[in-house]
Amino acid sequence: MTLAHSVILKIQNISKLHGHFKALNNISIEIKRGEIIGLLGPNGAGKSTLLSIISGASTSTTGTIHLTGEQIQPGNLQLRSRIGLVPQDFAFYEDLTARENLIFFGQLYGLNGTTLANKVNEILEIIGLDEIKNDQYPRFFSGGMKRRLNLGIALVHSPDILMLDEPTVGVDPQSRNRIFEAIKKINTTGTTIIYTTHYMEEAESLCDRIAILDRGKIIAFDTLENLLTLAQSTINFTIKNDRHENFGLLRKNLPSLKESTTPGSYSLTSCKNPTPEIINFLVNGQIEIINLNVDSPNLEKVFLTLTGRHLRD
Amino acid sequence: MQSLIIAKKELKLLVRDKLTTTVLFALPFSMILILGFLLGEGFGQKTDDLMRISILNLDEGKGLDNKSWADHTIEDIVSTPNIKVEIIQNKQLAQNLVKTGKRAAVIVFNQNFSNKVNVCSFLSTGVNPFHRDGVYLEKLDVSIIKDTKQPATSAIIESVCQIALLRIVMPWMIGQAFEKLGDPEFIELLGKEVSLPVPPSLRLLIPKEKIPLGELLELASGKDVALARNYREKVGAGIQTALIGQFKNYNLTGKSWASLTRSINPTETDKTLTLYQNEDGAGILKRGAIRYQILVPSFTVMFAFSLILISGWIFVAEKRQGTFDRLLGTPVSTINILIGKFLPIVLISLFQILFLLAFGKILLGIKIGQYDWSITNWMTSLIFLPFATSICVASFSLFIGILAKNETQLALFSSIPVCLFALLGGCIFPWEMMPDNAKNLSAFTPQGWALDAFREIMPSAFDTSTDFQLILKSSLVLLTMGLILTFMTWGIFERIRLGHAKA
Repeated sequence: MTLAHSVILKIQNISKLHGHFKALNNISIEIKRGEIIGLLGPNGAGKSTLLSIISGASTSTTGTIHLTGEQIQPGNLQLRSRIGLVPQDFAFYEDLTARENLIFFGQLYGLNGTTLANKVNEILEIIGLDEIKNDQYPRFFSGGMKRRLNLGIALVHSPDILMLDEPTVGVDPQSRNRIFEAIKKINTTGTTIIYTTHYMEEAESLCDRIAILDRGKIIAFDTLENLLTLAQSTINFTIKNDRHENFGLLRKNLPSLKESTTPGSYSLTSCKNPTPEIINFLVNGQIEIINLNVDSPNLEKVFLTLTGRHLRD
Repeated sequence: MQSLIIAKKELKLLVRDKLTTTVLFALPFSMILILGFLLGEGFGQKTDDLMRISILNLDEGKGLDNKSWADHTIEDIVSTPNIKVEIIQNKQLAQNLVKTGKRAAVIVFNQNFSNKVNVCSFLSTGVNPFHRDGVYLEKLDVSIIKDTKQPATSAIIESVCQIALLRIVMPWMIGQAFEKLGDPEFIELLGKEVSLPVPPSLRLLIPKEKIPLGELLELASGKDVALARNYREKVGAGIQTALIGQFKNYNLTGKSWASLTRSINPTETDKTLTLYQNEDGAGILKRGAIRYQILVPSFTVMFAFSLILISGWIFVAEKRQGTFDRLLGTPVSTINILIGKFLPIVLISLFQILFLLAFGKILLGIKIGQYDWSITNWMTSLIFLPFATSICVASFSLFIGILAKNETQLALFSSIPVCLFALLGGCIFPWEMMPDNAKNLSAFTPQGWALDAFREIMPSAFDTSTDFQLILKSSLVLLTMGLILTFMTWGIFERIRLGHAKA
């Protein structure tokens, strides 16, 4: 196994109890170096709790987490310089400029001199705050700019793992794109990224693998492609001059086809996307299609399939 | 090093908040000035300090022991335990002091006081100064200038004057009267008044049933005039000796109260006699006024501990804005974070204390230290004590800051050290205005210890000694309190960091 594909983070049987409430229930996953992992789940699923334990800010009730073989524990301060956490809420000094915030946290991680200055410039460029005036304080930043600074502080010490806790909450599309670009750029340098969100679109567009959390448990963890197979696609179409023999023909070839109450309208639900097959069949049978729409599977549907509830309930 | 980075950041944030920084230094400054103007010169002085007997001595005569009777009377009042006497320099000043309400009454011993006392006697030719309630002041050429708006206090002062005069005039008159018992003239008078029965066996010599004592003495002297006088004197002396033997507990010839009553004279330390001194200060700011001698140390200590609220607020704000968790997420050790938070508070507190002392010295003319202090004494007072106080302030700030989870909790928690302890410690009401046992409570507050020591380095005009042991002891108590609180804060901090407690 090459270094690029080695396991960087090994989470084993992590549970966290808050009194009698199980915030995390026996979580076990392995994350490879350089991956972008999405933690997808509704509010209260346990995403932030898991990040907090990985970062060493809190302890688990049971289980262990290893970062390249070294166990993460709150007392192990040295490991913290290998982890970057972007908290859900803004966490920077509003009366220090963006540059000063980066310098301050950089110094705490042991950076100084030219290394620190270069790193701060690099980060400011990555997060798109390099053109901000030096005397402008973050208290006057837009929400998007604040989010980006929040991200930048977690990057200043070049962590092996960057964890982002819902980093796009309340930002405009432009800032969201900037954040996405920054994450992708950081990932190209080999940084492993754990990204929590309850926006399925973000997980779909960014992540190599996605872990779906619900009520403290990981109910699925796989690539997007594989996860989508857990949900079904539905194709609805209407044909012209519907005749009885057409339906018989369709039914013969597509046994699970359902006839709608509207004449000539049909629907078919399948785990495998049936669209090419249907189009082929209709074209070959010279049956004219009036309309056709495909309700493709997505993570929302995957979540619905797995839990019986909607992601944003 | 990392702690210095945190400390630098904290200071930078504070300096950028210009309004807070200004208030931090300007508020105590303004409070001292405003309260100084509002409270007047009597503020901070003990009731005992204010209750003093003011005397104007114009007596030009001489009395017993070639000393004026006014001096004897003043000495008598001064010798009364716990009564302070001040001498007013002239009549105009006395009248002004009473007129402006600064003194309730001033006792005036006028020019003829001694002469009048000298002629007081039980003899018919002498002056009888007594009446049912005491002494006729006018008969002794004594007057009292009274403030009609302070009738109770002036009545007390007059009573003190009456009792003192009784103690002076009565023994003088008794002593004089007793001396008269030995005079031949008195025996001659007695000889005419007292008749003795003649026994029958002597009736041949003295053919009378009764014979006057004087005649008997003449008979005994054989009509020798000189010898008869001698006999009279002997009888007089005999009467005196007999009376002395009869009234052993009293010295009837004493002429002073202490001598008459055979009392032990009070020790010198009980005597408090001062010259009147204007304590109102000079100039618009009333520089040198005694009230600032109380206000400056009180407010210096009170505002030093008020930093708990400001520093705690910054701490809680850091928790609220998430930077506290971010700090905990860095590889910086807990002790370094604590030192980083601790140092700026110590520095600000130290600077604030020294600023207020300098302000007090330069603008308000308060007295700091004594001219004969050694360098060690100055270092103890102006460096070690402020430093120990600042350590205690910083420890309290971090302790409250780490305990409080939000601003409401902070306001509630910090009200204990900032308000309650300031009140108990004597920063708001001087101890002089509190009952004696209330001062014991101040031992449980850091303000009490700090104030005790700061007042020691800012003594009143009449104090000439400084208790350096008290300053050292207070500083050590403050340091100990600081260490205990810091240790507790470190414990809570570690629990938070190890995920056992929430910030």
